[in-house]
Amino acid sequence: MPDVIIQNLPYLLRGLWTTIDLSLWTILGGTILGLVVGTIRFVRIPVLGTLCMLFIEFIRGTPLLVVLLITYFALPALLGYHTTAYKAALVGFVLFIGAYLAEDFRSGLRSVRPSLIQAGLATGLNRWQVLRFIVVPQAIRSVTPAVFNQYVRLVKFTSVASIIGVTELTGAGLLVNARQFHPVTILATIAVTYFVLCYALSLIGRALYARFAVKT
Amino acid sequence: MLTNYRFDWGPIWAARDLIASGLMMTIAVSLVALAISIVIGLIVGGGAASGSRPARVLAGLFVETMRNIPLLIHMYVWYMALAFLRLPAFTCAVLGLSLYSGAYVAEVVRTGIGAVRRDQFQAALATGLTRFQAMRLVVYPQALRMIAPSLASLFSQLIKDSSLASVIAVSELTYQAGAIDGQTFRTFEVYITISLLYLVLVTVASQLVMLLPGARSEASSARFVDA
Amino acid sequence: MSDVPTIEIRDLHKSYGKSSVLRGCSMTVRRGEVVVVCGPSGSGKSTLIKCINGLEPYQSGSIQVEGIEVGAKATDLPRLRSRIGMVFQHFELYPHMSVLDNIALAQIYALRRSRTEAYERAQKLLVRVGLEDKSGAMPVDLSGGQQQRVAIARALALDPQAILFDEPTSALDPEMIHEVLQVMDELASEGMTMVVVSHEMGFARRVADRVVFMDAGKIVEDAVSEEFFSTPRTPRAAEFLSKILTH
Repeated sequence: MPDVIIQNLPYLLRGLWTTIDLSLWTILGGTILGLVVGTIRFVRIPVLGTLCMLFIEFIRGTPLLVVLLITYFALPALLGYHTTAYKAALVGFVLFIGAYLAEDFRSGLRSVRPSLIQAGLATGLNRWQVLRFIVVPQAIRSVTPAVFNQYVRLVKFTSVASIIGVTELTGAGLLVNARQFHPVTILATIAVTYFVLCYALSLIGRALYARFAVKT
Repeated sequence: MLTNYRFDWGPIWAARDLIASGLMMTIAVSLVALAISIVIGLIVGGGAASGSRPARVLAGLFVETMRNIPLLIHMYVWYMALAFLRLPAFTCAVLGLSLYSGAYVAEVVRTGIGAVRRDQFQAALATGLTRFQAMRLVVYPQALRMIAPSLASLFSQLIKDSSLASVIAVSELTYQAGAIDGQTFRTFEVYITISLLYLVLVTVASQLVMLLPGARSEASSARFVDA
Repeated sequence: MSDVPTIEIRDLHKSYGKSSVLRGCSMTVRRGEVVVVCGPSGSGKSTLIKCINGLEPYQSGSIQVEGIEVGAKATDLPRLRSRIGMVFQHFELYPHMSVLDNIALAQIYALRRSRTEAYERAQKLLVRVGLEDKSGAMPVDLSGGQQQRVAIARALALDPQAILFDEPTSALDPEMIHEVLQVMDELASEGMTMVVVSHEMGFARRVADRVVFMDAGKIVEDAVSEEFFSTPRTPRAAEFLSKILTH
């Protein structure tokens, strides 16, 4: 390993840990948000459904960097509160990835055949039971590949948090480079690290899908 | 009202020239990167769908490498790691965007070609077309029709991704927004304005893709990736 | 015999937008009766039986199941449906659940039976439809005939007052039709109330008490089975019979 990496290893590892930590919390929060918003869109709750649609359209039309600038600068200015770069990034990531996941979940819910829903209703299950035991379990299985694509995107996107000053992997690397100037070595190391993280995550997604996909 | 914030859109209007120049730069970066990523996508995607094993392996390597590294890192690589090339920031942004998005376009192209039934190709050959004609006249038009929605979402993604060019000082929309914010402190107004502008750009771009010949004719066209 | 019919349909009208699917249907099914509903495709047969358990809403007329109005706002549809079984054309087993889970689900959540009871009952019903060795199998691993027998077990698990069959054999390969009809024959002989949309005229002859013939959203004939086959009263029914019996 090159000297500049070894010397700064603890610092870079702390950055890597922040990347992983941000990713995991965002995956958790974004998945919950996506499930809730996607379900609201699917069952077409009036007003709430329209609000969710506007939220999704807004996020999907806005670059991630702009979303982070909004959660870090614009919203605190508007509402008069203080936040940290880490918190703002986390909120921005959850909103961002949650909107995309909501659309994935909704299309998964829609992929369940209507006649299967009828079959559930015909046995006397109520709408929520049908959603919970029949529609959602199948939808989750069928959207696994799309959802893991979003997770991989998210891990890559955490690098954008460095722009608002979060010292995650990219931010840590840039700081080391600013002190010691080894751009080739440092960027190559970071790139390989992201590659390993993202590729591993997509392999997990594929394995889960192969294992749990509903065969028909 | 849950906020004491006083809205003042005057400074934003006063900075309209800056915003307009940023918008033009965003469009320029996106269009050039779009053109290059289509070329990359056609070559790599065609290779991935081809019968040649080395071509498939190379294409797979390219796609996985490019896709699994954050776009921001792509940009820093061209701008900082390869600084000895002395490329202008604009070129660095375009190269980073093109290689990154090209990998996604390649995946879409590969899936599209794979989705056209092999019998269609053979039927075309059987009528006396050459392989090249069969691809150009029979396979590609059908593939294009199927991948149009995926391309539309890729291209809107590319426009949004171009905002990262601001970190290497390309004076596009997001960069100008930062500059205006710094001068006027109308933080909320600035960022809402540019996010609405992005929304408009993205909407227009995806509508334009759907104007491609035949793109709309098949309403059921599958959506292969959602990048 | 009790006075309240199991199912009573009065002047039922239903339309999708401008096209009307049911145009004034009336029929009565008494306890223990087996009624076969037949007719050309698009005549409204499937829609009619899906109205009975409230899967399809209707615009006017009335359907009463054991005296309870299906379309009334106050009606507890899940409860009503758990008293009426239904078997679908394409089986509609839940593909992400094992055979046993498929049969147990509604017992646990609609009837609030204990898990132990639900699974014991499911296992017994599998024996009854001849699939005791398939309890752990996933639906995809079963043949069409086996899937449909599981679907029948799923309906039986709720101890229903009646079972609705929506073309239960029309998606099956010919060699599997028999195994499903055999189970249905047994049910009929045990006195189960059944409404069966089907073109299986052999089944209708063997076990149906009545045959209802539909055409263009109307019930054209409602006759005792022997009469329907020997002397159909309408030309449409006669034509339909001659086509279906000679093919």
